[in-house]
Amino acid sequence: MQNSLKRMWASLGMLAAFAAVLAAQATAAHKAVTIVIWTDSDRAAAVTKVAGDWAATNGATIKVVTKNFGDIRDNLGTVAAADAPDVITAAHDWTGQLAANGLVQPLYPSAAVKKQFPAYTLNAFSYGTAVKKLYGIPAAVENIGLVVNTKLAKAPKTFAQLESEALAQKKKAHLSFGIAVQQGSGGDAYHMYPFFSGLGGYIFGVNHAGNLDPSDIGVASPTLIKNAGLINKWNKEGLINSKVDGATAQNAFLKGQAAFWITGPWNADTLKKSGLSFKVMQVPAIVKPSVPFLGVQGFMVTKYAETHGVGSAATDLVTNFFASASAQTQLAAANGRPPANSTARSSDPVLAQFSAASKGGVPMPNIPQMNSVWGDLGQAWVKSTKGSGATPAAVAFKTAARAIANKIG
Amino acid sequence: MSTAPVPPPPSAPFKPGLVARAIAAFSGTPGLAIKIALLALTNGVAVWAGIVLVDRSRWIALAILALATAAIDFIYLVPRSWAVPAKFLVPGTIFLLGFQLVPIIYTIEVAFSNYSTGHISTKAEAIKQIKINSLEAPESGKQYEMAPARDASGNLVLILRQDPGGDVFVGTKKGLTPLPKSAVKVDPSGIPLSAQGYTVIKGAELFTLDVQLRGFTVPTKGDAAIQPQGVRQAVELRPTLRYDAAKNEFVRISDGEVFKDNGKGSFVSASNPKDELEPGWKAFIGFGNFDKLATNPLYRDPFLRVFVWTIVYASLTVFLSFAAGLFIAIALDKKGLRGQKLYRSVLVLPYAMPGFLSLLVWAGLLNDDFGVVNKLLHVHIPWLFDANWARVSVILVSVWLTTPYFFLVSMGALQSIPTELTEAAKVDGGGGWSIFRRVTLPLLLVAVAPLMIASWAFNFNNFGNIYLLTGGGPYSGTSSVAGSTDILISYTYKLAIASGKGSDYGLASTVGIVIFFIVASISGFTFYRSKSLENTR
Repeated sequence: MQNSLKRMWASLGMLAAFAAVLAAQATAAHKAVTIVIWTDSDRAAAVTKVAGDWAATNGATIKVVTKNFGDIRDNLGTVAAADAPDVITAAHDWTGQLAANGLVQPLYPSAAVKKQFPAYTLNAFSYGTAVKKLYGIPAAVENIGLVVNTKLAKAPKTFAQLESEALAQKKKAHLSFGIAVQQGSGGDAYHMYPFFSGLGGYIFGVNHAGNLDPSDIGVASPTLIKNAGLINKWNKEGLINSKVDGATAQNAFLKGQAAFWITGPWNADTLKKSGLSFKVMQVPAIVKPSVPFLGVQGFMVTKYAETHGVGSAATDLVTNFFASASAQTQLAAANGRPPANSTARSSDPVLAQFSAASKGGVPMPNIPQMNSVWGDLGQAWVKSTKGSGATPAAVAFKTAARAIANKIG
Repeated sequence: MSTAPVPPPPSAPFKPGLVARAIAAFSGTPGLAIKIALLALTNGVAVWAGIVLVDRSRWIALAILALATAAIDFIYLVPRSWAVPAKFLVPGTIFLLGFQLVPIIYTIEVAFSNYSTGHISTKAEAIKQIKINSLEAPESGKQYEMAPARDASGNLVLILRQDPGGDVFVGTKKGLTPLPKSAVKVDPSGIPLSAQGYTVIKGAELFTLDVQLRGFTVPTKGDAAIQPQGVRQAVELRPTLRYDAAKNEFVRISDGEVFKDNGKGSFVSASNPKDELEPGWKAFIGFGNFDKLATNPLYRDPFLRVFVWTIVYASLTVFLSFAAGLFIAIALDKKGLRGQKLYRSVLVLPYAMPGFLSLLVWAGLLNDDFGVVNKLLHVHIPWLFDANWARVSVILVSVWLTTPYFFLVSMGALQSIPTELTEAAKVDGGGGWSIFRRVTLPLLLVAVAPLMIASWAFNFNNFGNIYLLTGGGPYSGTSSVAGSTDILISYTYKLAIASGKGSDYGLASTVGIVIFFIVASISGFTFYRSKSLENTR
């Protein structure tokens, strides 16, 4: 055992050397003004480039971390302060949840910057139960539209025209649905919203202070209930069918079977490559205009920027630089969406058609109570449009409204 | 293999087996080298972790890390006989602590807190954020383009250009002083570039001012002040709430409304308990979540329904899979069956394929308008759209996924039953069925029962099967959190991510603890029963 003691000292020496190397590497990380940005993989390259331009002229450095888009919101609440981002790419409907958690900071862009954005995009990023504040700078906008296969049908001017053309094509192609709009057993309130708004439904009312009011739920609004018979009629004639999921809807349209497809700009490339002749438009009005939900994506400054001592730098990057027309063009193009800054128009004709279909649209409610709405509203559509054995729409939507009110409490 | 093994002749020289030779090969210098390399790696990781912990001032964690690393080095390097068992126990113990105990402790901690949307930070952070969120632009509040600068004596000041208007000022901690317009040059977007008598700060130095700029306010009228936002803009803001640290409450300045700490992680208005300030903070609420689960019908009613279905689902899945697996195993157990290996391999396939893939494929196959199943059978069954059919679908697919497992274990167990026993039973005049029931099955159950319990516990928490096949749906009745095929674990997940005002991790952890006690007590009881089964042998 004498030998092993010698060996032990030798090994301890090696351990120390190894540890020293690792330690030297870890301490090499310097502490200049470094801004950490969390973004999704689509936008990572564009963010790196745009923020890099800013960093180069301002003597800062940028570290871009790529995450799944949804994980940005979820991880921001649990990340350790040392690893936390200073700036995030965000969807406007996260605003309420992130602000209620105290994770993001209010922003005050100059009047000149604000002027360049449509009012709804700024409003979409504003939240506050007492004082309404702006928490994000918009970068890109998106909404769904009605895609018409112009070989199979004429672009409808009225909803009655859409209905008759869709049903004619349904019969001709032996389909089980007229309009390809995705639901599936889980439901999809987002894609059904044009029908919902066209029938006079709304999600939350607005209180006297101009904030969304979670106690005023319009899922079973009187207008909607009065017109609920239309849903039963559509179900009976098979105009819409809740068994159609995303893949079924897409296939039916791309194979030239369905004449109408409800989808968004994320399928713009697929549409262009399909070789079909198509046109994107808003769903024709039913009893009210059939407006889509509007989604706005943009950038926020987190509370960690201040902890990291880069609060003013991060604010400057987001409010002045990401808001500029040239940055917006690059950022939006990277994600295949039209830019939010109205002086930075997208040159893509298909995206322009999608933009036109947004007219009068409603930004998705950005208050955290919206979490209680998606599932129930989607299920109300699933139940009332599942073909034979469907629940009458008036009952389904009243049930959903009650369940949502219960959850919000 | 029917002949009895011949004992080796006693004179044969000792020939160590492959494993023994492999161990011997590593027990010299190569073994030591591998040991040192692994230990060096462990120490290296510990040093790196130590640096991170020092960086974050986690001193307790650092002490534990240092002690643990020293202990590991000591155990593996010091040649003492008592250290030998520790060498084998230490790695397992570390993983047990890290992957079992720590998550359990966290879950318990969360279950007794209000951790949920709006309650994720500490109280100090919440107070700070409430103050920031309470700032409001006063009526006729002004916005400015700004450039931080130094005056003649080197003090930090703000050169401000009102927007709109274009009047220029210098802002100090004392207040606003107008400057002549000609004294300040601005860039096209209105940001001051230079000012007579002041040195405008530019370039990299600008960002090093972060802390000073944040604390820099230029008082204007009343409690309003101009505050820098970033490095190029400043805004006139005033607080709408005042924090009284001594009384631990916020007061609304406009009408004197008091917001008191309600002891549950929120400042709540004294006159309207629904009016609370955001954000709140994470607070200990004792048995609040357990109370909610037991008494609030919104959570209690779906919980009971989901609980019953979970038991039915797990039990039916295990029993049907076991029955089917055993049946196939017996059918294929016949000696001399042609293509036996082929049948066995094909039958194991569902088990060999990744379950996630199979589940997604099944979800497509069972679609009632476009699915293959209905098309082949020429029926129109709403497999996933009707509550009871969805339950049938979930069980069928789970059985399909679990049967190969029971086929494998039954096959093994059947072969371990000595043929003498069944032959003896045959001699005693037993028929096929009674031999199976009285001899084969009891012997089989001794081996398979513990596996059935394990499989039951697994299916009790089989999140993937439910989530990927039906997502818990379809939904009926008034509860939209719990669908007709939701089992407790998927119900918990939904509670955690989509309940009321966002997410409720506290309540979800509470359900997690309840699930643990249910599974533990049922498994414990059945293990106890199966032990008595073993004793009857």
